[in-house]
Amino acid sequence: METFDIAVIGAGPGGYPAAIRAAQLGAKVAIIEKEKLGGTCLNWGCIPTKALIAAAETFEKIKHAEKYGITVKDASVDYSVMIGNKDKAVGTLRSGINSLLTANGVKQFTGTASFVDRNTIEISGGASIPASRLVGSLAPPENGAHGVTRPTEHITAKKIIIATGSTSAMPGFLPKHERVVESRAFLDIKKLPASMIVLGGGFIGCELACMAAMLGVKVTIVELLEDILLLLDADVRREVRAHMEKNLDIRVLTGKALDKISADAKSVRGSFSDETLSADLLLCAVGRKPVTDGLKLENAGLKTTERGFIEADDYCRTKVANIFAIGDVTGKIQLAHYATAQGIAAAENAVQTKQHQHDTIVPNVIFTSPEVGTAGLSEDDAKKQNRAVKTGKFRFAGLGKGMATGENVGFVKWIADATTDQLLGAAAVGPHATELIAEAAAVIRSELTSRELGRTIHAHPTFSEIWMEAAHALHGECIHAPPKRK
Amino acid sequence: MATPIIMPKFGQMTEESAIVEWLKKEGDKVAKGDILFTVETDKSVMEVESFEAGTLLKIVVPPHVNVPVQSTVGFLGNPGETIPTATAPAPAAPKPATAAASVAAPAAPRAPIAAAVSAPIAAPVAAPIAPLPAPAAPSLFRISPRAAALAKHSVIDATRIKGTGPEGRVVEKDVRNYLQQHGYDKLRISPAAKELAAKEKLDVLAIQATNDSGRISVADVQRAVAEKPKPMSKMRQVIAQRLTQSFRDTPHFYVTISVDMTELIAYRNQLKAAGAPYTVTDFIAEAVVLTLQEFPDVNSSTDGKTTRWNSHVNLGIAVSIEQGLVVPVIRAAEQLPLLELCQRSKELATKARAGKATPDELSGGTFTISNMGMMDVESFGPIINPGESAILGVASTRPQPVVRDGKIVVRQMMKLTLSCDHRIVDGALGAKFTNAIKQKLEDIELWKRLTA
Repeated sequence: METFDIAVIGAGPGGYPAAIRAAQLGAKVAIIEKEKLGGTCLNWGCIPTKALIAAAETFEKIKHAEKYGITVKDASVDYSVMIGNKDKAVGTLRSGINSLLTANGVKQFTGTASFVDRNTIEISGGASIPASRLVGSLAPPENGAHGVTRPTEHITAKKIIIATGSTSAMPGFLPKHERVVESRAFLDIKKLPASMIVLGGGFIGCELACMAAMLGVKVTIVELLEDILLLLDADVRREVRAHMEKNLDIRVLTGKALDKISADAKSVRGSFSDETLSADLLLCAVGRKPVTDGLKLENAGLKTTERGFIEADDYCRTKVANIFAIGDVTGKIQLAHYATAQGIAAAENAVQTKQHQHDTIVPNVIFTSPEVGTAGLSEDDAKKQNRAVKTGKFRFAGLGKGMATGENVGFVKWIADATTDQLLGAAAVGPHATELIAEAAAVIRSELTSRELGRTIHAHPTFSEIWMEAAHALHGECIHAPPKRK
Repeated sequence: MATPIIMPKFGQMTEESAIVEWLKKEGDKVAKGDILFTVETDKSVMEVESFEAGTLLKIVVPPHVNVPVQSTVGFLGNPGETIPTATAPAPAAPKPATAAASVAAPAAPRAPIAAAVSAPIAAPVAAPIAPLPAPAAPSLFRISPRAAALAKHSVIDATRIKGTGPEGRVVEKDVRNYLQQHGYDKLRISPAAKELAAKEKLDVLAIQATNDSGRISVADVQRAVAEKPKPMSKMRQVIAQRLTQSFRDTPHFYVTISVDMTELIAYRNQLKAAGAPYTVTDFIAEAVVLTLQEFPDVNSSTDGKTTRWNSHVNLGIAVSIEQGLVVPVIRAAEQLPLLELCQRSKELATKARAGKATPDELSGGTFTISNMGMMDVESFGPIINPGESAILGVASTRPQPVVRDGKIVVRQMMKLTLSCDHRIVDGALGAKFTNAIKQKLEDIELWKRLTA
C-alpha cells in the first residue's frame, strides 16, 4: 500500500491547487478524481459558460452594431461551432492542470475514493494514470481508465483534504425527460431550443438565461422567492432584472412555484398561477448539493450536517484532526476562487505547524447582462448587522468612457463605515463589472477609507474611474455629478 | 407653578442614586402612572412612575449623575408654566463610605486612557525603540496648540511626552523627537485602522499588529478598544466592594460533606408527578431553616467584639442575573410552612431575575444559600455575605460509587460546602451544623411529614 503525506479527494478548483501547494511545501501528495481534472468549474461550470457567454455577447454586439454605424447583414449563429470552441478551451485548460500536477510530482489516481479509516482511502473503478500515457488535451476516457477497469487500490495518507464539490440539485417533482436538464447537461446540447423555461433565478439560472436570450432563445425564468438574484442588494438586482426584461426580452416570473410540470415529445409544460407555460426545454437551476456519496465518511469518524455538508472551520479543519475539507462540500460560499483560497490554506495548515485562516473578502461575480460584481459587506448585510454605513453611488452614464463606448448601463456603489469612513463593501453592475470588482476587493482588504481611495489617481478615460467618482459621492464631492439638493 | 419630580428613596440604606435613562423627553405628555425614568440603585435598576399627569417641562438631572435621594431631578406641569430657578443638585461628592450602600463611583474626571502601557512597538525593526513612557497627570500637562495638532494628526497620546518648553510645556519639537524615538516612521497601519484609533482616542504607538505583515489592521485597533478600561455597573461595583470587604475582614474556613440525595430525589419526582411544586432547592432551604433554629450561633453576626443572635431566620438565596448576582431574602423563614417557603422563594427569584425586586427584598439576610447544582460543579466555597456568619454552597448531584453495607453501589450524591466565619463558628460547630442539614435531607420520613 502506497503511503503519502497528503491525499486530496477531488481535483476541482479547490483540490488541485491544494495538491500543488502541498507539493510545493515538500509533501508527497496524491490526488484522486473520479471524473475529469478541473471539476465542475472547468468542465461544466465557470469556464464553459464563459466561452458560450462571450460568443453570445459578440452576437448581441453585432445585432446592435448599427448604432455604431456598422451594418452587418445576415448574422447567424452556428451553435455547434460555439460548443466546439468551448470544448477546445476546456480541453486545453484541462491538459494544463495535468501538466502542472505532473510537474509538481503529484500522483494522480482515477476512481471513486472512500474512507477505510481516517488515514486509509480505497480507490475503486479506476487506476492511477502515468502522465506519459495521457494523451494531449484529454483526461482519462469516459469508461474507466483506458477502457479497462483496474482493480480496487488502497493508499494511506497522514492528512487528507476532502474537496469533492457539489452537483446540481434536481428536485423529485421534475419529470425524468430529455427536455428537462440541469446546467451540466445543458452545456452539452447540440442545438439551442427555440424556447426555454429556467427554473430558479439564482446566478446560474440568470447567466444561462441571458446567454440563451442573446442567441435568440425565448426565455422565461420562474423563481419561487420574491425576486431573482436575492443575494444582491435591491438596487443592484433591479438594474439587472430591468435590463434582462427590457433589452433581452426575458420573461421573469417570481413569488410562486412552477406547478404540474410535465414533458412529452412535443414540449415541457408547467403552470404558474393560472397560466400554463410551455417551452422546448426546461433548465433546472435551483441550487447545488454537496457530493459525499460513496465517501464512507463514517469510517473516518466524520458526519455531515443535516443538509449534507462537511463542516470545516476558517482553517479548513474538520472535526477529525487529520482531515480537512474545502470548497462547495463545506457549504460556505460556493465559488471556485473561494475553494481555491480554502484549498491553499488547507494545504498549508496540513503541511505546516503554523495554522492560518483563509481570507474572508470574497469577490462574487455574475456574468449576466449586465454583469455584476460584489465584494465585502452589502447594504443588506449592514442592515442585518445593525451597522451604521453610508453609501456612494456613481452611474456609468456619468463616465466619459461609458458614453464614448456606448456601454453605459448600471452603476457602482461603495458601502463605508459611517464613523471611520472605512470601505467595507462594494457592488458593481454594468460593463466589465466582473473585472472592475477586483480593485474593490483589494481596496477593502487593505482597509482603505473612501477619502484615500478618492485621492487615488485613476486613469482617464477608463471604466475604473467610476470607483473614484463613487468614493467622492460618499462625501457629496463628486466632480461629475451635480450637488445633491439639500 | 410646575411640580418638582423627586429622586425617590429606594430602601432604607440608599443615600444616592443615578438615573439610567429618561423615558420621556422634555415636552412629552405624561399620564399618571407613566414611567418617567429608570434609576440604578446599588441593587438593581428600578422604574419610576409619575404620580401626576402633565407635561415634562424640564429635565434637571441628566442620566448617569449620582444625586442624593429626594433631590429634584425635573419638573412636571402645564406648558408655559414657570419653573422655579432650577438648581441642579450637586452631584454626590465622593466621600468616605459610611454605610455599606454608599459606594458611589467618584465623579471626578477619569484618568486619561493608559492603554497597554509600554506595549512593544508593532513594526519589526532593528533599531531600538524607546518604550512608551506613562502619561502625565492631567493637571500638570501643558502643550502648545501646534504640538497638540501634530499629536492629534499623528494619533498619539501627547500626555506621554516630556515637554522642554517653559514650565515643561510640550512644544512641536518635543512631539517630533518623540515620534522619531518611538519609531513612528516605521509604523505601518491601514488608513481605516488609523481613522478608528483617532475616533477612539487611542495611541497608535501602543497598538500591536498581530498579522504576519506587521501592519496594524482594524481588528488590532478593535482589540485595543476592547482593552480600554470601562466603568463597572453600579451593581458590579457594589458586589466588588462587599465581597472584598467580607473576604478581607472575615476569616473563612470551609466544611464539605456529601449528602445522599437518592431517596429525596425519587420522592420529589413522585411529588412532581402528583403536581406538587417543590424543587430540590426548596428542600435544601427548608433543611437549612430547620437547622439554623437548632444552631443560633450560625444564625448570627459579629463585629469582632460582640456577637448578635438573630431572632428570625432571614434566608437569602443567591440568584444569578444578567448583570451579576443578587440575593433575595425570605424574611422570617422559620414562620413559613414548606409550601409557603417554596412559593415565596419562587416569587422572589422571579422578581429578582426581572430586576423588579425592591432593595428591602434584597437586604437583611442572616444566612445565605448559593446553589450551583445546575452548573455541573463538584464543590465550591462561596464568600460569606457581610453581616452573616456562614453561607452554604450547594454543588451538583451526580451518580457516584459509594459504600453501603460493605458494597459499592451507585447513589445520587451532592456535596455541600459551608463557608464559616471562624470568629463565631468553630470547626466542630460547622461540622455539626452541616451534618445536621445532611441528616435532614436524608431523612425521607421528615419530608413525608412536611409535605403531607
